[in-house]
Amino acid sequence: MGRPQQKLISFTIDGRQVQAPENMMLADAAKLGDVEIPVFCYEPKLGQPVGACRMCLVEIEGIPKLQTGCSTPVKDGMVVHTRSERVQAAQHGVVEFLLLNHPLDCPVCDKGGECPLQDITFGWGGGVARTRELKRHFKKPVELSPLIAIDRERCILCYRCARFSQEVSEDHQLVLAERGSHSFISTFDSHPYISHFSGNIIELCPVGALTSIPYRFRARPWDIEGAGTVCTLCPAQCNVTLTVRNERVLRVLARENPAVDDGWLCDKGRFGYQSFHVDQRITQPLIRDGGALRAVPWEIALERAAGLLERARGQACALAGGSASNEEGYLLARLMREALASEAIDTLAAVPPRAAHMLARPQLQAAVADIEHADTVLVLGCELREEAPIIELRVRKGVRRNGVRLLVATPQRSALDAVAGLAVRCAQGGEGELAIALAGALQGAEAQEGAHAGAAERAGVTPADLRALAQALRSGGKDVVVIYGQRLLRTAAAAQALLDIARELKLEADRQEREEGRTCGLLGIPDGVSNARGLLESGLAPGYDPGYRPRQLPDPDAAPDAHAMAAGLAGGKLRLLYLLGADPLRCGLPEDAWQAALDSGAAVIAHADFITETIREHAQVVFPAESYAEKEGTVVHPDGRLQRLRPAIERQGEVRAGWWVIAELARRLDLDFGLLGSERSPGARALEAAGIIAEGLSATRASELLLASVAIYAGIDLEQIGGKGRRWQQSAGAGALPEPPSAPERERAAGTPEPLNAYRPLFDAPEAEYSPALRFLYRRASGRQPAPLRSEQAPGAPAERAGESNGELGARSELVAGLVIRHVAGAGEGREQR
Amino acid sequence: MAEAQLPVSVWSPGEDVVEVRRAPAPGAARSFTRAFLETLRGLKTTFARVIEGPVTIQYPEEKVPVYPRFRGRHRLHRFEESGLEKCVGCSLCAAACPADCIRVVAAENTPEHRVSAGERYAAVYEINLSRCIFCGYCEVACPFDAITMGHDYELSDYDRSDLIFTKEMLLAEPLERTPLRREDE
Repeated sequence: MGRPQQKLISFTIDGRQVQAPENMMLADAAKLGDVEIPVFCYEPKLGQPVGACRMCLVEIEGIPKLQTGCSTPVKDGMVVHTRSERVQAAQHGVVEFLLLNHPLDCPVCDKGGECPLQDITFGWGGGVARTRELKRHFKKPVELSPLIAIDRERCILCYRCARFSQEVSEDHQLVLAERGSHSFISTFDSHPYISHFSGNIIELCPVGALTSIPYRFRARPWDIEGAGTVCTLCPAQCNVTLTVRNERVLRVLARENPAVDDGWLCDKGRFGYQSFHVDQRITQPLIRDGGALRAVPWEIALERAAGLLERARGQACALAGGSASNEEGYLLARLMREALASEAIDTLAAVPPRAAHMLARPQLQAAVADIEHADTVLVLGCELREEAPIIELRVRKGVRRNGVRLLVATPQRSALDAVAGLAVRCAQGGEGELAIALAGALQGAEAQEGAHAGAAERAGVTPADLRALAQALRSGGKDVVVIYGQRLLRTAAAAQALLDIARELKLEADRQEREEGRTCGLLGIPDGVSNARGLLESGLAPGYDPGYRPRQLPDPDAAPDAHAMAAGLAGGKLRLLYLLGADPLRCGLPEDAWQAALDSGAAVIAHADFITETIREHAQVVFPAESYAEKEGTVVHPDGRLQRLRPAIERQGEVRAGWWVIAELARRLDLDFGLLGSERSPGARALEAAGIIAEGLSATRASELLLASVAIYAGIDLEQIGGKGRRWQQSAGAGALPEPPSAPERERAAGTPEPLNAYRPLFDAPEAEYSPALRFLYRRASGRQPAPLRSEQAPGAPAERAGESNGELGARSELVAGLVIRHVAGAGEGREQR
Repeated sequence: MAEAQLPVSVWSPGEDVVEVRRAPAPGAARSFTRAFLETLRGLKTTFARVIEGPVTIQYPEEKVPVYPRFRGRHRLHRFEESGLEKCVGCSLCAAACPADCIRVVAAENTPEHRVSAGERYAAVYEINLSRCIFCGYCEVACPFDAITMGHDYELSDYDRSDLIFTKEMLLAEPLERTPLRREDE
């Protein structure tokens, strides 16, 4: 299908000649001529315009009646007037009607000061109220959910929220109840509006009818500052603006970037900010002293950590996760390799670097924006709603608006099944084998007999399903995007299978073809770690240097990955574990194996923001970790887009930059990165070490060091990354990607534990656990003991035979809804906890 | 492009020339008048005031009454019947303040703890009077007439931090009333 081509036409608006793409809506095209047409209900992100509010009436020559600018496509030679007497009279009338029932309680309304209704009344209204009649009344404020308050008196019935629920998130929960002047926005039977994306309606509402309960009455627009950064709570890496007042994050708003998030946020991203400021957060360095953790000055913690590292030379290993930035990953990898001669480094996502290397070719890489313009999208082995929710919205947009054909192949029932043309089930953990079987089916009978024999049985997919999937892909048009969960790369030969699928479907497209509109390729969603791709590309990967360069190692087992690391720790071969924002007991890694690894008595040094069980029981030294709102650095989106984190607030308590801690440890181990003020005087350096002067400049230097050290990032600097990010595949460094070795992939080393191959639900995260507003979702969605979930997810059990045709995801969602209803009926715990 | 030669206009004073007329050189009689008679003429005003008596106001025992619209220290108000605060914590005063000396932190009323008449109330309301320029914009901005400029002008203190007036101080009646100027004064 490809991206549509646009044709420019010329029209006249308020006496100006304006060039605009043909069929663009008049409300948008007017902006190209610096003319503003006021709108309430019009929002292009919500799909087709509805013309509900009538605010955008304009006069078009040749049409006797006034027309709505939001639903009239612009045509060549059109002559439009937006400030004529007739239009002004209509605008005054519309504003008067909208204000007829509006309570005008602006002083107590949270929207006051950033309210389109205020602005438009001021700019286009008549300025005089003539009504003496009583206004319509509702009970207010009412909790639409524990996160959103609804004030129906303020509502102007623009349908934006209902359209979002019906046409964007497609949860179909918000509806208009009653008719005519009695209409009001509601859910069916006043059930709470619980959805992964419910917070977006707060931002969509053009009046103060839908407000955020956690932000309620916290600040007014003139009290606050906006700080743009990137949310690193999941791999979707949405661009956000943090609302800051008195060095506290009070709100998270979307910062629209069509190449990343399309202007939406999930509820974890929108409400998880509260965890930055809770008392439970670690804000001081801690060391273990007589069995318990004790707060100590930085100097002592650094000394202790350096001593532990020194003693574990050659026997240390490191795991990174959470929101670790590229800089931290790069420095940690060098610290482990150069100062400690240890090769055991990996991320919690445990993406096999060799497989990632094979799939990293720029010609094969689909970008997020390609999803909506593809002919067919295959979602293979990942639950986008839980793993990268905003990408799910992009898939839904493609299906709904552009007729993308969606194929889903997952172990559990997926939230996308309802809109999929074909949904295929495989066994739990069988995604990799499914990819192999699918490659075989696409290559034809010969391959199915050969290397791919038995894959379908191991994948637990029925032959009929496999045939249907292969047929749908083969007839799926020119542009196919395969979104795969990177968990499946843990299966040997799965990466090769994906390459085979790409070759059979001709998914390769070079830069030229992509610019001409081809939208195809592969997009891998990392397992739980937001910046997994960036960490891998920065060299934090077993046996790989920055930029996918394989290391020359004498023995392939010399660089254990996250799985082998657990075995090494448990067996006593490794004696120190360095955790960079990672908790191996709370991710997709096998819990039993890691419990044994931690119980082995290995020393643990951790950068952590909360005291989890791992930290409380096992950590020797704990450095307080930054939240993403405090962090400066770069991260990489799953499609290869480098994005920049900018600090929005000052670090809480004694928290210091992660890269500074690693560089400081390296200095104590006689490794100099040239970051710690070597250009500064000794006095300035002492002040910097004492935290008296900022090391902000050096944070930029850490980024520069990273960008200079990773060959594939050549030609990209911080300026270019800017606010919107930049994909390395589209810059000069793309050619520097080394050819992947042709040797076959190694089977998993004997004795390493089997990976769990199950995703963790979105709200099963510390941000949900520690944010008072989100806690109700945390407990319900996962629970502290995910044990029962695991026994159901026995690897290798075919889905059909295990009686999962109805799927456990569906069952769990119902449970969530049931519990939440009871919770809300019990007088809103969420609000008391604010 | 070569620069075009512009015609140079020469300014000529023409009719603007005014001849300055100077006084004739002072003689003896004229000097005498200047030194004594003119001085006496001025002193006439001085001596005329003597009979009016002293006008010094013995501050602080005695205070100058102020006009009703005098802009002194702010006051916050309550509703007389219900005793609820008029202020709903909307922060419009803080937005209007050119000296940026007002800080408002709002909170939500609950049925058990009702402070103001609206949904929200000012949990913190502070005016830094050492910064205030007494322009009265806050009073104009207030949609509920909750803040007005009072008549008190005695605001000196020994400590700057004591000049940050809290909500309780602004709501309380002033200890000593400033005299108001009567209609005939």
